[in-house]
Amino acid sequence: MSFNIFICGVGGQGLVLLTNVLGRACLKSGFKAITGEMYGLSQRSGSVSVHMRIGDDAYSPLIPVGEGDVLVALEAIEALRYIEYLKKGGLALVNRRVMHPPVETAGLVRDRSRKYFSLEDVVSRLRSYTGRVAVIDALAAAKEAGNPNAENTVFLGCLSALRELPLDPEKVREAIAEAVPERTVDQNLRAFELGRAAAREALCGSGVCRD
Amino acid sequence: MVLKDVISGGKGQAFMLCNEAIVRGAIEADVKVVAFYPGAPTSEILDTFSEALGSFDYHMQIATNEKVALEICAGASFAGFRSLTAMKSVGMNVASDTLFVLGYTGVRGGLVVVMADDPHAHSSQSEQDGRFFAPNAYVPMLEPSTAQEAKEMVKEAFAISERHRVPVIVRTVTRVNHQSGVVELGEIRRGKFERARWRDLKEEYLTLGEVARRKKVRMLERRAELEKEFEGSAFNSVLRGEGGAGTGIVTSSVSYLYVLEALKSLGLWGRVPVLKLGTTYPVPRRLVADFIRGLKGVIVVEELSPYLENEVAVIAKDVNPAARIFGKRSGDFSEAWELNPDLVSEGIASALGLEHGDKTKIVEEARALKEGMPDRYPTFCPGCPHRGTFAALSQALRALSASGKGYYFANDIGCYSMWVFPPISKADSSLCMGASVGIANGLSNVIEERVVAVVGDSTFYHAALPAILNAVHNRNRFTLLILDNSVTAMTGQQPNLSTEYTAGWREGKRVPIEDVCRAAGAEFVEVVDSYSVKENVPVFRRALEYDGLAVVVSRRECALYGDRRKRRRGEKITPFEVDKSVCRRPYACIRDVYCPAHEIDGDGQPRISPELCDGCSVCSRMCAFGSIRRAGAGTGNENGTGNQKRNDKEKEKEKEKGEGAGERR
Repeated sequence: MSFNIFICGVGGQGLVLLTNVLGRACLKSGFKAITGEMYGLSQRSGSVSVHMRIGDDAYSPLIPVGEGDVLVALEAIEALRYIEYLKKGGLALVNRRVMHPPVETAGLVRDRSRKYFSLEDVVSRLRSYTGRVAVIDALAAAKEAGNPNAENTVFLGCLSALRELPLDPEKVREAIAEAVPERTVDQNLRAFELGRAAAREALCGSGVCRD
Repeated sequence: MVLKDVISGGKGQAFMLCNEAIVRGAIEADVKVVAFYPGAPTSEILDTFSEALGSFDYHMQIATNEKVALEICAGASFAGFRSLTAMKSVGMNVASDTLFVLGYTGVRGGLVVVMADDPHAHSSQSEQDGRFFAPNAYVPMLEPSTAQEAKEMVKEAFAISERHRVPVIVRTVTRVNHQSGVVELGEIRRGKFERARWRDLKEEYLTLGEVARRKKVRMLERRAELEKEFEGSAFNSVLRGEGGAGTGIVTSSVSYLYVLEALKSLGLWGRVPVLKLGTTYPVPRRLVADFIRGLKGVIVVEELSPYLENEVAVIAKDVNPAARIFGKRSGDFSEAWELNPDLVSEGIASALGLEHGDKTKIVEEARALKEGMPDRYPTFCPGCPHRGTFAALSQALRALSASGKGYYFANDIGCYSMWVFPPISKADSSLCMGASVGIANGLSNVIEERVVAVVGDSTFYHAALPAILNAVHNRNRFTLLILDNSVTAMTGQQPNLSTEYTAGWREGKRVPIEDVCRAAGAEFVEVVDSYSVKENVPVFRRALEYDGLAVVVSRRECALYGDRRKRRRGEKITPFEVDKSVCRRPYACIRDVYCPAHEIDGDGQPRISPELCDGCSVCSRMCAFGSIRRAGAGTGNENGTGNQKRNDKEKEKEKEKGEGAGERR
């Protein structure tokens, strides 16, 4: 078996830490895990992505097209950029947050009749690809947890709420405590819980949550 | 990066980035000297060694360039110390002069060179197949597929190096370096670092005249010995297959993992034999011959050039001339870009004449969904000093545009390269480290336009300096902007000669760029603060009009580096905001600045995202109406007077800020 999570966002949002926590949780749970990460160099504020694969059957660090079980987008527009990696009927967990690239803002300044590509545009298109789209207000949850930079941890909470994720949430919690800077452990654990709650609410009744 | 796994004394398992596993392997092998110039995708090797410096007894230097780094390691190796350097393949171009000679002279202490190729040019100026350095320099090469294997190979590479007295290349690709996985930790047994006594070994370490000719023969003998040893290497393995189709696969590196994935998805698991090569120079020819002898066809799966394919073809000519070889030359795989599981499935299916799951439909549907979606190019970070430098330069250029004189922009390799991307899109060339100045030397003598060359601080020391000396000596006339953000920012803020720290953040001596330029004989040398846009415009104007070599050093520390230091000192970062009652919407704050923190809200008003704003003040300096202020400031400019309201708001903001889980690399 293999369980594939495609994670994307904007450079600086902490995808690598998110991946590292998942990897540690896999190790604690006795699962094989392998990742392919695309970040670094000029990727700050650019589009970044990580392929996360869990299970004995996952050999390649890259997920084959159409075989992602879950797509996690820390920035909404980025979900669309990598949509082909999600399998049909797969779950898209999408941040409500839209970060408009400077090139788009520059376009609006030049031509005032233009409009930003909106969250609604993204969500309606995602829904035409898969029936399972959950929009999460991760920034609000991260702020509530006391650290607006903890959006990545909010998504760890969301993932942990999924019945299909083959990881014990307790192991994820332990991995967070190990991987984040010491003075931010409490904030991150709060962000994790808020993420779990947000996912349960967003996916309520769909039968995909653990509890 | 999680250091404790790398330094953990106990055995067991850890989830590690491959670059961390490489460091772990070197530490388990008791490496004594390491030296680097940073380059993606190898920079985390440097970073990890730097962080582990307090835990183990080894000597580390961050060198001016890859050639110097390799020479530091070579010197240590001559004296009997195990040493390691890591570089990307374009860095190997710089270091290769030394590598080729080391192939001749040989080494003493194990010398390992980790060399990373970047198929798909994710973070490089070119796709380059560094594998050809190995046969050209007669230096053995190992290629890992996973983090675990990388760790083992680095360890073994030290042993091979000492057994055969030759540097060993461990060649990776981006998808190996930036792969994380579960790694079995080995025992760490460290010897104490003690200075050696130099013995008279001079003859061994030079290649002049007759010595070179003699040593060439020795290199050829050594190659034969290595090939024999590699025939039995555990890094080479055969995955058995019943071979019903009469076809087998030869592969290496990350391509091996894609092959496994493809065999699974094509339903060929256990049916096609696979030879996985971990030692790719010298190629163990007998092993390959035995594998291909009975086959009707051989599929070679590898990235970039047909390196293994050529080897296989040559061996097949002797042992199985009828075998069909499928690879790049048969058109089943492309020589361009990196492979992935889907491309490998397609290639194998096409070689075998099989149907493969067609994913065109998914890809086409996805493409339709992306219609009209904005591109997201990498750009200067919020607070990046280069944004201010380029804003002032753009204004100076506009002021001079009336003269009708044109400009040629010779860009270089660093964060400022991002000037090529929209919406700025301004750079006429960008070749390799330091080349902007070399190009300017040539172009300024043959074109009418004024040439403007751009380099960063690290690039200045790495490769631009000889070209600057050349410009002074030859009286070449151009404008040289040295953007000094005081660290090697693009690869993750490593210290360089412009930083007051060395490896492991120990105190070092800063080498002031302006002093070097003046000492070299440059007569126009000005130093400006990158954030002072308005004040810098006249300086840039004079530099653009100066009849000679005009050097402007635009200095302000990298924002990410600066923020880290501020947090350490307990200083606060306060974002700016737009006072909508004052804003008249000329969008000067957005034009020339293009900061990710700037957006336009529903009523067409500029808005600054407090989560992204770094408080650098550059946009507020562009605003003619004083409508951009520090959040919570009263009226007026960014120095606006404080009041109770501001204090409360700042406190609130501080609560929100704090160090995020987000920032690690």
